[in-house]
Formats: sequence, C-alpha cells, structure tokens
Amino acid sequence: MRMKKHSRLHLPSAPARPGEAPDFSYVALSPAGAVARPDINARARDIGSLSVELVRVLDDAGNAVGPWHPHLDASELQIGLRHMLLTRLYDERMQRNQRAGKISFYIRSLGEEAVSVAQCMALRPGDMLFPSYRNQGLQIARGIPLVDLMCQLLSNTRDMCKGRQLPVMYHSKAGNIFSISGNLATQFPQAVGWAMAAAIKGEDHLAASWIGEGSSAEADFHHALLFASVYQAPVILNVVNNQWAISTFQGYAGGEQRSFAARGPGYGIAGIRVDGNDFLAVYAVTQWAAERARTGAGPTLIELVTYRGAAHSTSDDPARYRAKDDHEHWPLGDPIQRLKQHLIVLGEWSEARHQALTVELEALVASSWKEATTFGTMTEGPKLNADLMFEDVFKEMPEHLRKQRELMRAETGRPGAPGTSRT
Amino acid sequence: MANMNMIQALNSAMDIMLKKHPSVVIMGEDIGYFGGVFRATEGLQRKYGEHRVLDTPIAEGGIIATAIGMSVNGLRPVAEIQFADYIYPGFDQICSELARIRYRTAGDFFAPVTIRTPCGGGIRGGQTHSQSPEGIFTHVSGIKVVMPSNPYDAKGLLITAIEDDDPVVFFEPKRLYNGPFDGDPTKPAVPWSAHPKGQVDEGYYTVPLGKADIVRAGADVTIITYGTMVFVAAAAAAAMNLDAEIIDLRSLVPLDVDTICTSVRKTGRCVVAHEATRFSGFGAELLSIVQEECFWDLEAPIQRVTGWDTPYPHAFEWEYFPGQARVSIALKTVMESE
Amino acid sequence: MSQHVFKMPDLGEGTVDAEIVAWHTKPGDVVAEDQIIVEVMTDKAAVEVPAPVGGRVVSISGAPGDKVAVGSPLIVFEVEDGPTVAAAPEPALAPAAIVAVAAMSSPTARSGRVMASPANRRRAREAGIDLSTVAGSGPGGRIVRGDLEFAEGHSPPPSASPIAGAALAAAETTEIKVIGVRRLIAERMSEAKRNIPHFAYVEEVDVTELESLRQHLNVSRAADAPSLSYLPLVVMALTRVLETFPQCNVLYDAARGVLVRHRAVHMGIATQTPDGLKVPVLRNAHSLGLWEVAAEIRHLAARARGNKATREELVGSTITVTSLGKLGGIASTPIINAPEVAIIGLNKAIERPVVHQGAVVVRRIMNLSSSFDHRFVDGYDAAAMIQALKELLEHPATIFIPKVKSK
Repeated sequence: MRMKKHSRLHLPSAPARPGEAPDFSYVALSPAGAVARPDINARARDIGSLSVELVRVLDDAGNAVGPWHPHLDASELQIGLRHMLLTRLYDERMQRNQRAGKISFYIRSLGEEAVSVAQCMALRPGDMLFPSYRNQGLQIARGIPLVDLMCQLLSNTRDMCKGRQLPVMYHSKAGNIFSISGNLATQFPQAVGWAMAAAIKGEDHLAASWIGEGSSAEADFHHALLFASVYQAPVILNVVNNQWAISTFQGYAGGEQRSFAARGPGYGIAGIRVDGNDFLAVYAVTQWAAERARTGAGPTLIELVTYRGAAHSTSDDPARYRAKDDHEHWPLGDPIQRLKQHLIVLGEWSEARHQALTVELEALVASSWKEATTFGTMTEGPKLNADLMFEDVFKEMPEHLRKQRELMRAETGRPGAPGTSRT
Repeated sequence: MANMNMIQALNSAMDIMLKKHPSVVIMGEDIGYFGGVFRATEGLQRKYGEHRVLDTPIAEGGIIATAIGMSVNGLRPVAEIQFADYIYPGFDQICSELARIRYRTAGDFFAPVTIRTPCGGGIRGGQTHSQSPEGIFTHVSGIKVVMPSNPYDAKGLLITAIEDDDPVVFFEPKRLYNGPFDGDPTKPAVPWSAHPKGQVDEGYYTVPLGKADIVRAGADVTIITYGTMVFVAAAAAAAMNLDAEIIDLRSLVPLDVDTICTSVRKTGRCVVAHEATRFSGFGAELLSIVQEECFWDLEAPIQRVTGWDTPYPHAFEWEYFPGQARVSIALKTVMESE
Repeated sequence: MSQHVFKMPDLGEGTVDAEIVAWHTKPGDVVAEDQIIVEVMTDKAAVEVPAPVGGRVVSISGAPGDKVAVGSPLIVFEVEDGPTVAAAPEPALAPAAIVAVAAMSSPTARSGRVMASPANRRRAREAGIDLSTVAGSGPGGRIVRGDLEFAEGHSPPPSASPIAGAALAAAETTEIKVIGVRRLIAERMSEAKRNIPHFAYVEEVDVTELESLRQHLNVSRAADAPSLSYLPLVVMALTRVLETFPQCNVLYDAARGVLVRHRAVHMGIATQTPDGLKVPVLRNAHSLGLWEVAAEIRHLAARARGNKATREELVGSTITVTSLGKLGGIASTPIINAPEVAIIGLNKAIERPVVHQGAVVVRRIMNLSSSFDHRFVDGYDAAAMIQALKELLEHPATIFIPKVKSK
C-alpha cells in the first residue's frame, strides 16, 4: 500500500500533557445565573440551548444567583456540605489504606463530590439509583453506614457482596442503590428498564443513572437514550464529564465536536449542561429533571461538567498523561470550597465550624474503620466461608455446583459443613 | 387437550402467564401489534394491551438491558430476540449482567428474565438465520439454557422458565415450529397434529427444568440429543433397526446428569448429537460428563454428531445439516467398536 | 511491645514489584500511622506509601533504586500491643492446605499396553482376569467381550460380527483356570508378540550330508552317548555362525534402551513339558563339543519335563532354538523369547525330489523357520545369518573347522 506523506485523519488532542501548562480554554462556560430555566413541561426540541450553555448558580463571590437558584434551607446546605466532606475524607482514608496494603483497590471521587451528593439529595428515597464506580457520594448521602461500605472494601464477613466484587462495587437493596458493574455503561439502559417498569406499574418513582463521559461511547449509552426516548421513561441519565477516562481525553468520546448533553436533543430527550462543581446548580437541575420525569414530561440527559481531581484508581498515575497541576487550574473550582464559601456568605458557616466538622468526620471515618476491621481484614480476623463462592449463582444450587463445592472442600482440606454459609 | 404446533404452544404459555401474573411483560422486535415474525405472540397485545406486550426498537442490547432493569423493578419480562443469530449485541448484558446480578449482590437483587429466541437451520436461512449458539450460553455461569423439541414440552418449559427466579435463555428450534422433522428435506412435511407431542393441554402445566425426557427406551445405545436432532436421531436409529435409547435433554443448564448416566451405564454405548458446530460445542461437555461418570461402562468410544465447524451456508444447507446419514455413521461406528 | 512486619503491598491490580524511590524514615525513627514512609514506583504509578501502624522503625529493606517484590518485607515496626480483633476468628486455612497435593500411589508397573474397551477392562477386573493373558480377536488385537468370555471359559472364541453386543451362545465347556506355568507362558508370549515386530524368514536346507554324518555318528557313538538328533548339530552350527553375527546374540534392555551383546552363547532350548513350553538354557554352548551339547540338551530336557529344572537352568538364554521334531511341519512362525532378538526353528526333515547338480534326485530337505526382532535386526542381516547357517549345515564338515582368529 502506498500512503501519502501526510495523514488527513483528525485526532483529538488533550489540551495539556505532562510538562505543559494547564489549558481549559476549550470548556465553554456561561456566567452564573445567565441560563434561563424553562418550564418543566417544555418539550425537548424547544430547549436545545440548555445542552450547550452551562447552568450555574454560585458566582465567584459565593452568591447564589439567577433562575436556577433552588432556595434551599441553610440546614439542607449544611447537610450537603457534610456529605461532601465525609465523602472526601472517606476517600482520603481509603486511599491511604490501599497504599498501606489494607485494601486491594480503591477509586476516589476527589473534586466530583457535588455530583453524587447534590443529585441524591434532589431525589426521593424511593427513586432507584444506578451508579457508576465514582459515585460513593450517593451511598453516603443515602445514609449507607460507612462501616458497610468499608466491609465491602475489605471483602470481610459483613461484606454485602459476600466477597464476590472488587472493592467499591457496592449496592444497597434497602437504600435503593443498584449494584455497580465493572463493565462500564451497562447500568445506563438497565436504569431505563427500571423506569419503564415503574411507568408500567403506574408508580411515580424514577430511576437515575450515572456514567462517565468516556463510557458514553459504549452502545449501552445509546440504547439507554433510545429506549428512554421511545418510551418516555421516567429516568434521569447523567453523564459525569470529568474530562478523563483513565488517560483518554474526553475528545475521544466525541466531546470535542459537541457537548455530551447535546446527545439528548438528538434522541428527542431534554439535554442540559450544568456546572458539576456547583452544589446549587446540580441540585436545581436534578430537581427540574426529576419533576419532568414524575409528571410524565419524559427523561432528561444531564451533563455534569467537572474534573477528576485524583487518579482514575489506585492503579493509575495521571502524572504520566496530564499536566501536573491541572486540577488547581480547573475553572469551576472545588465543590466543597464553593458551598462552604456560599454558606459563609449566608452567615450560616465559619472556618471554625468547618474545622470542627472536619475533625468530627475524620473521627467518624476512623472509628468506622476500626469497627469494620472487627469483621475481618485482608489478613486477620474472621474470614468468609469459601462455600459462599457457590451460592447465589442460581437461586437453588444445582447438582454440578454442589459437586464442585465438595471438590473445593476436599482440595482445601475442609470438612463439608452442611447448611454452611456464615455471613 | 388440543392440537397445537410449537408456535401455538408457546403462544398459549405466554397467554397463560400474562393472565396469571400481572408482573409478566412480553417484549421484542415485531412482537406486539404484528404478533412476531414467527407469530409466537400473535393476539397477545390485543388481549393484554400495549403496556404488557411491548414492541421494541431494533436493539438487542437495549432489549436485554431494559428487561434486566424491569426485572429488578419486580416485573418478569419475556424478551424475544427475533433470531438467535441476532443475540450477540446483547451478549455483554446477558453474560456480564443478567447472569451475575444475583451473585454479585449476594441475592439482594435478582433478574428473572426469560429470553426466547428461535434457533437452528433447515429453513434456508443462510448463515445469519440458522445458528445454534446454545453452547456459548451454557458456558456462562448463572443462566439456565433450555431447548424444547416439541409443542408439549415447549409450553410446559416456557411456563417454568417464566416463573423461574433465575434468568433463562430459551432456544426454539424453528425447523420444529410446524412439525417434527426427521432430517430428510425431500419428504413431505409432517404436521404436529399427527404427533402425540402435538397434543397440548390448553391450561396451565409445567415441565421442570433439569429433567431430561427418555423419548424412547432402548438397550443397544444411548443417543443424547436435544432440539431438532431428537427426531433425526430417532429416525436414523430406527432405520438401522437399533434398539436405541433416545434422551431429549430439554434443558442443558441445569443438566439431568442422572438420566444420562443411568442410560449409558445400561447400554455401554453413547452417541451425542446436536445441530450446533462441533468444536467446543455443548456435545463436548456431554462427552466429558459421560467419560467422567461412565468410563468403566463404555464398550466403545463415544461418538459425536454435529454441524460442521463452518458458518451455516445457504447453498449447502443439507450437506451442513447433521442428517440421518451422519447419525448412522456414528451409530455404526459405536456399535461396531468393542 | 511486638513487631509488625509491613510487606510491600500490591499497589496496582497485579503488580509484582515496586522500585524504591526514596525513604522518608530510617531505623530508630518513631512514625505515626499514615505518615508517609516511602515513595515507590510501580510499572503503573509513582506512589507514596503511608505507615500502616504507628511505632518505632526497627529495620527497612531496599535502597533507592532497588526493586522490592510485592509481599516481601519492606519495613519492620515495633508497636504497642493493643487489643486485637475481637470477633471469633474462623480458623484460617494454612496455606499448605491449599497447595498440598495428595501423594500419588505409584501406579502398578505395567509392561506393554493391553487394548480393550473400558467396559471390558472392568469386566476383566471383576472376573479376576489378567487382560495381558488374554488374546484379542478384535481390530488391532483389541480384546473384545467374546475374548473375555472365552478366557473365562464361557463361550467359544468370538467370530467377527457386524453388530456386537448380542450374547454369544455358550457351548458345552470345561473351565480351566489359567494359572502357574500356563499363565506365565501366556503372559510372556503375548508380551513378546505385542512388543516385538517379528520378522519371519524361512529357508530350506539340504541336510542330506548332515543326515549321513548324523547316521554315521549315531552308529559309531559310545555306549553311554545319547543318540543324535539334528538339534545338537544345528546348535553347533549356530554357535559358529553367531561368531560372525553377534547382533543376533543380544538381549534388549528396554528400560535402559540398550542392546547387550553377549560374547558367550547361552542357547535356549524350547522344550515341550507336561506343564507346557519351557526353555531350559544350554550355557556356554559355544565352548562345548558336539557330544557335550547333545548330552546337555538331553539332561536339561529331562529335568524340565520332570519339573526338576532350577530357576537358573530356565533363565539367561541369549538366543533360542526350537524344534518340534517329527511334528516340525514345513514352516512355522516362532515367537521370540524376549528379551532375545532371534529364534531359530527347525522344521521336519523329509526326503523330497529336488534338482541337484542338474538332475532331479531325492534329497533330504529341512526348512529353518526363524524370527528376528526387526527393531534391531535388519532383514538383510537376518537373511545373511540364515544363509551362513545353511552353508554350514549343507557342508557339515565346515561346522567343525575352527575359525581363523585373525588375518
């Protein structure tokens, strides 16, 4: 094959690689308060501009401005701040635990706390959440005890997954939080199916799901939008655009040519782009989408513009592919800092209270960890019975698995314990 | 009792399920208003409404994913994939999600989804309308795999599958929809009305999963088969005047190992037959089990009758199809060896 | 106080080692839990590792630039003893339990492979039949069910039937247990037949002159000397021939894959006894004279027939001669007495009209039917050896002419 000297292929390029100065000029911003808030019954085709603009409520001085201001009580904002701070401190502690060899793997949500916390708070407890792996804020805001989350990370005797899932792949039946999958984007169309069922059953619960902008490239994303559109399912589909999918810049998910929110109007779904680090804006947009879903106005695709402040996971090192101090230059700031500033402007918060809260929550994380380890650690204490491996493959264990369980017992020199499973 | 072909029997099963369980919904491409390209869901939407018998977009991955979501929300979806050949866009949702939701949530969530899909050749379907991919699914932990060979079983098995709390992939050999087929395409078609298994109870009944059917008891050789090959194998054995014991597995997962082994221990000779391709096919699993469980009873090496390891060709359908000639060669080999 | 050994954690999914970049602590330091103690670099990331516990550093492993394997000790702390994990631990598995592999009971040593279906193997086992003693009539010598029934004395030997499995009608029968010598013979015969690719070679020998010599010697023999058959004469000739064909006076050591050539000729003499075939050994046949050979053969045969032969008299032959005497027939296919590689069979000597020196005359002809282990004796050499033997036997005087040792 003969090739011309210059390829004509276009390749998206990251704005800044290691050694280069951070550059976020590609992020389209709107001033706080500048974007109109359409009626919740507006038709998707009439509100296309929402998918291009950026809904923001908090201005640089910490004031809440414009039509999207949700007018939440200060006490609610303080709860939001507490959840976000707890999420961050939990992350920090678990990251250290991984480094110290106490858990095998962890994923932080540094800089993205407002996404999960504000969205969860804007929804009702009966709404079903289909999270991705960077939505620990949902678990915390839904009140799942830290001990439960930590026991999952430890795969110990109180692990909700009975040792079957990678750390951070939580679920909560009682909390209406679906199981997290390592296969990306699969939960997106599942959430649509859940919402379709809610509609068929005549219930007014809705489903919400989250994926990263990187995994919006999967077919599941498009199935979700298509089925949501066709059946006008009561679902909120959230693309957390944190700019990076491990080392893959959002341009490779198609973000260079068009916003992710703009995928919505293409399917006839309301698409809305929001400042993901603005607690108030995220809350307001989610509340708007939830009302639409509950009143039969259909699904909404929300793009939450944010930045992945930390590595993809404990196995990753972003210093190898992005500018070193990128996160500090992110134009939308830090969600915790911004809500804290707003509360201080309101006269409802102070540095001293913030410091006291930090100490309190650090102690909560520490005592929770201590408690979690009493149910077993990776090296010490009680261990899950390996017989559990064979349970829950099917509702009733078929003969071939019974046999294999016997073989496993023989292999490990353990007597068969009829009735078995210790949890 | 009524005369039913397999389509009618499946339709009857879904009709009864829609009536009995408000949680049952039927979904798939062309299955609603039109009643399905093979007519399996004919009349069901008129009877139960568009909200319980849903036409879907042409997106198998989306069908299976939304069915999973529905099942997690308390429904019992019966999703039709129009041809088994089209199931692959939904493969990730079946293998990584559907099969494992109970496991990964330690039973907190489960997904009682039934996926119905017509399979197999002999209908001039070429390589995209003739496949038998059941072995791909039997390899996945956490899903049950079923393939009936006649109207009576089809109805009873489908009812069991829908009421089962675990996911089931339900393969329907489409060459058997309208009548039993002995592998000879030159013979006039025989309708189910002339066959005892075409006599189907009009009401509710179940056929258990994991229980094979001894279609014919015999002493000379055990033929383990399912789907289309049940009748082909029976015809080949009869033509050879062999006293063959023919086992129709009906359900591949869970598998009725006891019936298989009891038979092979009795006859000492075994032929495994399926229409699917050979290499790494489900027959290989059957051979392994017989070898492991019945080795000291074997008079002869086990024989395998399968489709060739090629895509299913349009022009060479009957050279590809494992007809009576291929079964006879295997039977002769297994009978003459000792 | 107790020691806490902190091992290099797996910092990525499945990393095997990490390079030490910098230590932030040294032995003797007191560190707090979570204090950064070391920076390491994996193939995936540069990572700061915090102290998992608080305490005094006792020792550290690895200098900057060193790679430390995941799971090997990185740092040892001396820590205050605190209350340990409270919940009652289930006894953890000793790692040994997981890796322990049941010791194999050594499989029974088997010589050669028996061909039989699993079902027939099971039947044989249940009936106490050693399959290596059963002759197979199926394809490739496979033992079929009928062979087993025959071996059990249940039915006549099977005839090939297109569809097997039909029970064969049992004839009136007597059961004879295959035991003792018969069993040994059976085992050895089938083993030899199974393992050795036999090359059979038949040649006719004009023994007219040998016969005259034999007649003469018998007439003139000493009173106590035995009467001579052809056998001692052939043995004498054979020992001479083997001087030139040492590759036939060989034992094959299969275990070592070695052919052991013997300078001495220990001649096995196939002998019919009431118990069946035995092969007593004529030791150092090459060093014996004709009358000694004849006497020794007679002696050995008598002892064998009388079941008086010692074990030593029945083992150690390097080549075997077999003769059925008057029952010798015109040709036979003798089975090699493994681990030998050749066997020489004598057929019946009879007068036949042959063309001799241009005229049809009556001559005494005896055939030699021999088998060779074709793995080790080529057809050419086998034929050449038999031709040399023929040459000696047809000119019997040459048997007794000593070989010129060297030129």
